[in-house]
Amino acid sequence: MAEEKYPINIWVNEERYEKLKNAGLADMCEEMLAGMKVIRVYANDAQKDKILARFPTAKFDASTTKSIELLPRDVKDKIFDKVVEKQSIDVLDEFLNEY
Amino acid sequence: MAETGHGGNQIVERILEPQEAAEKIKGLKSIPIRSQIANEVIDIAYGWFTPLQGFMGRADVDAVCKNMRLVNGTIWSIPIVFDLSEAEVSDYGIKEGDTVLLTYDDNPMAIFEVEEIYEYDKKEMCQAVYGTTEEKHPGCARTYSYKDKFLGGKITLVNRPKINPPFEPYFIPPLQMRKIFKEKGWERIVAHQTRNVPHTGHEWLMKGAWLQTYAELSIEKPLVGVLVNAIIGEKRKGDYIDEAIILTQDELRKAGYFGDHNHLTSLTFWDMRYAGPREAVFHAMLRANLGLTHHMYGRDHAGVGDYYGTYEAHHLLASVQDDLAITPVYSMNWLYCPHCGEITSEGLCNHKDEWQKFSGTLIRSIVQDGVKPPRLIFRPEVFDLVMECAEKYGFGSPFVTDEYLEKRTPVFTIPPLSV
Repeated sequence: MAEEKYPINIWVNEERYEKLKNAGLADMCEEMLAGMKVIRVYANDAQKDKILARFPTAKFDASTTKSIELLPRDVKDKIFDKVVEKQSIDVLDEFLNEY
Repeated sequence: MAETGHGGNQIVERILEPQEAAEKIKGLKSIPIRSQIANEVIDIAYGWFTPLQGFMGRADVDAVCKNMRLVNGTIWSIPIVFDLSEAEVSDYGIKEGDTVLLTYDDNPMAIFEVEEIYEYDKKEMCQAVYGTTEEKHPGCARTYSYKDKFLGGKITLVNRPKINPPFEPYFIPPLQMRKIFKEKGWERIVAHQTRNVPHTGHEWLMKGAWLQTYAELSIEKPLVGVLVNAIIGEKRKGDYIDEAIILTQDELRKAGYFGDHNHLTSLTFWDMRYAGPREAVFHAMLRANLGLTHHMYGRDHAGVGDYYGTYEAHHLLASVQDDLAITPVYSMNWLYCPHCGEITSEGLCNHKDEWQKFSGTLIRSIVQDGVKPPRLIFRPEVFDLVMECAEKYGFGSPFVTDEYLEKRTPVFTIPPLSV
């Protein structure tokens, strides 16, 4: 059975979109909820548990979206910067090792 | 004309006028109370907790825990208790039969006729009410934090709370609420229980419940209203601030997504217990006392974590339906379907692979990321008001912070008793 993956939704505001465009990564964005741009970084079970333990404000929305929400904005900025640096959404291990 | 509330009992306000109050409190021992108790004093005195006339004695607590009923047979699902430590009981010199004065903000609030001082096994209470004894359940944590002695007896308010801006228009006690319903000509009113800023999923929950409640009634004039009844109580960091919740709920009416003819916003003071099924029954009792005829329930109503089954609250409500003066209206989730290009019910749309579900938590994340969601998901008037509330009341944040908890203006204060 495939391992469960839980998204962290990094909603792309204007500042983040500028960074993506400048890096030629604008098409990394998905479109969700009637036109909002988002980059979805996926966590596995172990990463999810680490994130929830390390950032107490974060919440796993188990009932509706099955996503990890309410990470502080500066934490999401750091994950986002890592995505831009690596040009990949597979950045969580590295992020967690460094943070 | 007498108004009948939960369990067929008359709603009676237990409130003294200032002159009489000033006489009655002379010479009474003063006992300061915390916010949870002050909230419940208001609920008792104004009739939200009809038929309770005060804090429960042991026999009622026991009957509530074991049978989900008061001793007199009326359905009641959550114990309403007043706690003190043994040392406090001794230091204040309180004995059964005494009358004491409860103070809040250092001012007189209510007379408490102490009929009984007793103990109750908190673990037993947790197991009965929450279905668990785990400390991580917030209701159990609250119960374990109670001191060891419980005092039962009647409460009479001697000093009305001063409701502070912007909450004044939303404090509508049961007798006043029932008058408003009559003036509006509503024959059926459905409750929307909330502690959230509304996104369009919530808006459609209300609209769906309104349609369900309307049913066979005549459409020649407006006969059905939605009452948004926001629970105002203890806040946790990261919650929306109270001001944003109450004002944005009302904004749905002001901005025309609803109207005066079908929508009203109000508040009830209550510290959520997250008791799931038992809290669902409790909400039905509160809203029956407010004069509502219907109550909307979604999945896992008032639950927390995975303590309760998705439909457990519905099953418990069904088991006591004949004893409740309110009809439950069950709501399926609303979501965004890009294929339909609209908000739709999961009970209607069949583009299951394309569904995009959203929750209050997800919307909070979006707002936190500095993104303004599209109007199909979050009304622009609501978004703008959330941001305005952040500046005006939230010290820059729409979410509860340490600074907000420390410096906010309380929803109500107890002023000095003026005669």
